[in-house]
Amino acid sequence: MRIQESMSMYEKLNILSDAAKYDVACTSSGVDRQNDGTGIGNCQKSGICHTFTSDGRCVSLLKILFTNECIFDCKYCINRSSNDVVRTSFTPDEVCKLTIEFYRRNYIEGLFLSSGILKSPNYTMELIYASLYKLRYECNFQGYIHVKAIPGADEELIRRVGFLADRMSVNLELPTAESLRMLAPHKNRKNILTPMRLVQNKMAENRQEIVQYKNAPRFVPAGQSTQMIIGATPESDYQIINVAESLYQKFGLKRVFYSAFVHVNEDKALPAKTNEGPPLLREHRLYQADWLLRYYGFQAKELLSEKNPNFNVLFDPKCNWALQHLEMFPVEANRADYHTLLRVPGIGYKSASRIVKARRFGVLDFADLKKMGVVLKRALYFLTCNGKMMYPVKIEEDYITKNLLSTKEKLPDHIRNMNYQQISLFDDVKFRTENISMGGGM
Amino acid sequence: MRKMYVVNDTVTGVFSGIYDAWKEERTIENAGILIRGQIEQELFCEYFEVEESQHKAVAVERLIQKHMGYDTYWDIYHACLADDSGKGTAVWGVMQSAKTVKDSRKIMEHLSNPAVAKVFELSRAVANEAHIFKEFVRFKELESGILISKIAPKAQILTCIAEHFANRLPLENWMICDKTHQMFLVHEARKQWILVHDSKVDMEKIEQYSCAENEYQILWKSFVESLAIKERKNLGLQRQHAPIYRRTYMVEFS
Repeated sequence: MRIQESMSMYEKLNILSDAAKYDVACTSSGVDRQNDGTGIGNCQKSGICHTFTSDGRCVSLLKILFTNECIFDCKYCINRSSNDVVRTSFTPDEVCKLTIEFYRRNYIEGLFLSSGILKSPNYTMELIYASLYKLRYECNFQGYIHVKAIPGADEELIRRVGFLADRMSVNLELPTAESLRMLAPHKNRKNILTPMRLVQNKMAENRQEIVQYKNAPRFVPAGQSTQMIIGATPESDYQIINVAESLYQKFGLKRVFYSAFVHVNEDKALPAKTNEGPPLLREHRLYQADWLLRYYGFQAKELLSEKNPNFNVLFDPKCNWALQHLEMFPVEANRADYHTLLRVPGIGYKSASRIVKARRFGVLDFADLKKMGVVLKRALYFLTCNGKMMYPVKIEEDYITKNLLSTKEKLPDHIRNMNYQQISLFDDVKFRTENISMGGGM
Repeated sequence: MRKMYVVNDTVTGVFSGIYDAWKEERTIENAGILIRGQIEQELFCEYFEVEESQHKAVAVERLIQKHMGYDTYWDIYHACLADDSGKGTAVWGVMQSAKTVKDSRKIMEHLSNPAVAKVFELSRAVANEAHIFKEFVRFKELESGILISKIAPKAQILTCIAEHFANRLPLENWMICDKTHQMFLVHEARKQWILVHDSKVDMEKIEQYSCAENEYQILWKSFVESLAIKERKNLGLQRQHAPIYRRTYMVEFS
């Protein structure tokens, strides 16, 4: 189904950004690069968000698909070949022009280019390469570029694209090979992991080259990332964070993103549609756990287990861990080492390092901790300053649970008011395929 | 008697005040630096109008960098840009306290000292605000191809974002107007940026945008709109990250 050639830029941008909105990996972090004075753009390591959409997510990059024509038929995807949606494609020129004009108005940090599979993976990857080449060498663009590696594309093509991009990502899509088979019949685990491994090896090689030749071109300097859809398939949180942990350890990924499943297609392989909306709290808990894995020295097996495979809806994973390990608390703020402080709820890695520095010059009390950014309403049950607790509190799970609940983060209404829900026969909120498959043996 | 040095609300002003107080060998207790226009009169104080000069400011800058290190200077400089009437006295307090500790370069780690805590807090707030304007500055193209942006920050953050934009857009002519403090950051293609105070700017010329400008504004607005996932709508979260008072000059919210 071909669409008229004369679609305006406005329409194209609407269609192709709308089609890209479910991609979550939209950060611009991980690389510091100065402009050499001959072009446009630079990169800042921390990344820069330029605006926020009405769902509260940041817009950092010009997030578009090159084309939404796709030969694949992934069940969860709005652009699957069996859907009847308006199809269109950018040309490399249009991508460059949009990027440069948006960039000089400080709307964006760079380009995020993904794509449906047009004709074949190689054909698509070549179009992407052409766009990036033009952007880097003809427009002399030195800002951030995040590009998707298309599973199944040739090694050589991926290698060439990697030298133009700052970050590359291959979407894992679903946490297990089995789910992938069920929902994305044209993709398989091997096709996804091969380019991931390729990028990893090439990055390691490139690091060697840079040591020898300072001006060697950089290959994917901001590292690679991936994303998983959460809630479309019956995996437990435990399985998901184990997958994430092994991706960090074995594939050296910079980030794993989680995307709460949004119901865009009706399909018998997908969970039944409910009124609940996407599982946002679950996604939030997974991100919290992800941070604990990357910055706080936690391991997946400490946070969850086979027996207890899902996160507590009421507490963040760190609070939850602390409540179950009360024997290790309270810790003394003036003496505990950095890694122990990191495990105290309410202390982040910045405040932990501030505490470690400041206590060399004097004894700290709770008022000082507060100034350093410690969230005392959470930390006070787990900390002593100079041997004293902030208030006389009991180190007892029920007591702390009760108190923490009254000061906790804002939870969605259906969780906060769990006791008052009217039971109905037909829209049971827990009615999902995972439950059916357990009962019915699907 | 306690002597209060009254200075202009600029880095040069605050540093000039510190220079005079330092020359007269004052201590934390018997001196304070106040910002003109933000003074609450106290009893048992004498007030002294400081004569501002570049020479004094440079001397204090050198003094800080030499004895307290560049990182401390960075914090003090940012604190001096803050919108806070107590900033001068806090910086004075830090400099005096630095004389009493073993390693003056680590003075900013003494967070239990109230002056240090105050400077730390101000510097953090200013640096955060500067970062926000790296995000939220929106350039509009004039007929002549010059890029213009208006912002209304609380602190005087123009010098904090200047290097960022000069490096990013070296081949463009651009200007950022700080509406709160009537200051302008001007960059001519391939040249250094400069900071201009309350000069007469022809605002009418600034309003004449190029034809393409409107087109890109429309493209950008529709892009931001189509990126939102309606099932995830969360206006509270959006306001948390992009508060309404920051939205005045942002294209996508106008």
